Amino acid sequence: MKNQPRIFLTALIVMVVPLLALSLSTGAAAAGEKVTDLLGREMTVVENPQRIVALAPSITEIVYALGQEARLVGVTQYSDYPEAAAQLPKVGSYVHLDLERIVSLQPDLCIGVKDGNPKDVVDRLDDLQVPVFVVNPRDLQSVMQTLTAIGGLLQVRDRADAIVSGMQSRIEAVERAVSTSEKRPSVFFQIGVSPIVSVGTHTFINELIVKAGGRNLAAGEVAYPRYSREQVLGMAPDVIVITSMARHAVFEQVLAEWKQWPHIPAVRDGRIFMQDSNLFDRPTPRLVDGLELLAGMIHPELFEEGS
Amino acid sequence: MKQDTPRLLYKILITTTVAVVFFLIAGLLGISIGSSGRTLFAVFEWLAGKGGHDPMLQTIVWEIRLPRVLLAALVGASLSMGGLVFQALLRNPLAEPYILGISGGAAIGAIIGILLGLARFPGVTFTAFVGSCATLALLLIMTSGGTILRKDSLLLSGVMVNAFCSALIMFLVSITQDARLHNIIFWLMGDMGMVGMGQVGMLAGILLPCFLLFFLLSNTLNLMVMGKETALAMGINVQVMNIVLLVTTSVMISASVSYSGLIGFVGLVMPHLLRLSLGPDHRVLVPACVFGGAGYMVLCDLLARALPRQGEMPAGVITALIGAPLFIYLLKKAK
Repeated sequence: MKNQPRIFLTALIVMVVPLLALSLSTGAAAAGEKVTDLLGREMTVVENPQRIVALAPSITEIVYALGQEARLVGVTQYSDYPEAAAQLPKVGSYVHLDLERIVSLQPDLCIGVKDGNPKDVVDRLDDLQVPVFVVNPRDLQSVMQTLTAIGGLLQVRDRADAIVSGMQSRIEAVERAVSTSEKRPSVFFQIGVSPIVSVGTHTFINELIVKAGGRNLAAGEVAYPRYSREQVLGMAPDVIVITSMARHAVFEQVLAEWKQWPHIPAVRDGRIFMQDSNLFDRPTPRLVDGLELLAGMIHPELFEEGS
Repeated sequence: MKQDTPRLLYKILITTTVAVVFFLIAGLLGISIGSSGRTLFAVFEWLAGKGGHDPMLQTIVWEIRLPRVLLAALVGASLSMGGLVFQALLRNPLAEPYILGISGGAAIGAIIGILLGLARFPGVTFTAFVGSCATLALLLIMTSGGTILRKDSLLLSGVMVNAFCSALIMFLVSITQDARLHNIIFWLMGDMGMVGMGQVGMLAGILLPCFLLFFLLSNTLNLMVMGKETALAMGINVQVMNIVLLVTTSVMISASVSYSGLIGFVGLVMPHLLRLSLGPDHRVLVPACVFGGAGYMVLCDLLARALPRQGEMPAGVITALIGAPLFIYLLKKAK
């Protein structure tokens, strides 16, 4: 007697009346505090959330940096730093999130990023009463804001403040050192090998190059402009930095290609470098590592004596 | 002809029931399997009222899997219907919304809508409709020398329009650089995972009347398949009917495409398969095609999310992988 109406109801809904299922939404909102995320969206989050899904590798890193990794119940693909993060359950990649996995982990909070996480998914999670705290790191300053905000949310504000002030003093140290030099070497930052892709003005990397005392040859409105080899030769960069997802084999090949053109200053002076792209394009405290590395590559004369 | 009516009704009833059962089985499988690893068994047990109350499973089944299954069903039904109608009007088994470029036109409209930052409904649906109407008009203009809708030239023009649309889509994708690029690419390949029940309801509100209209016009379709002269002799205004059928199909296709992206070959497989097994009567074919197409698409979407070990692949990959070879085989066999 109990079975039949169930099956009948299922059949009916699956068949004709999709609207009916609207009324089956899960109620029971847990009591919690009202918070506003960095996009100004308001939501209710349980106090001191304990089951967190990080919707981007950078968020995973930040949660680890705050020492709160025990609360992470899910991360995205490519969450590879620190190494232990790769062992956590995956909820798809940050641009292609797996809604069902996220819900099945029963998070009391998701932390997402504005650039990358599709708005559709964030809206759907809202509908399903999973709060999504969205952060929007665009430059070093807002990375630090992001740290402070997440630190506050997880009630580890002190630790967040300590990380932020550490970042700040290291950034200032680089800026101080760089300000003693008049030189501003030109930098070609190559994030794509084939086609050759560089970075425009509105990127982390541009900010890092400028702060490290260099000139970004690809500065401009286009975020990720493409270049032909001819154009790069014409610009005669003093420094070439290559970051690539692909590993050493590809780098050797690219290096060999540039070395055919010894009149490029960067080739002549042996200033072609390969770096881990995660240090430059992930909005995490490690951006400062990237900044220091970059400053050393652009102004070796300023930084080598200290070490 | 009169004494055939009960037999016809009987045949409609039987084939529709079979198609509905196929669809229901596909739907049950669809809501039973998903990335969180809930097994078929647990869901059946739960549907049967045993095994206690699990609110998380309930949320996943009703609010994540069910909308997806229903979306796939609606998309599959409308693409199959689109194929059926085009094949009847053009009297050519190769005709299909994707191949004729109607889907492509809708996709261009939808991409422009996404780039403009419009909401999925009504914004993107509307730009998709404009796109599909534009390609349809282009097709009609290209083939309007002398008689309306000469079937071979229409099909050939459709293939060309489709090639043109593909080029435009590539262009739009290549000039998009920010985060919207991912959205467009995933959408283009047929990503159906992100809709809620409300959106599915709205889509159903557009599509179900279209299906009903096709069913009511199914006898007209029968007569039009016999040729323009026969249809005219039977008192059908061929020109008006052509326009009505094409515009309705266009509405249906653009609504589906704006939610599901470009999914090809669905409009080829089901109608052709059904016609081979049920004969050419559209009064039988239309309801069978709606439910058969729905079930077929649900299964394709299920394969798309169940086959890869991590993540999922676009449903359009599955439909093309199944559709294209099967169609070639059927075509060869039919000759």
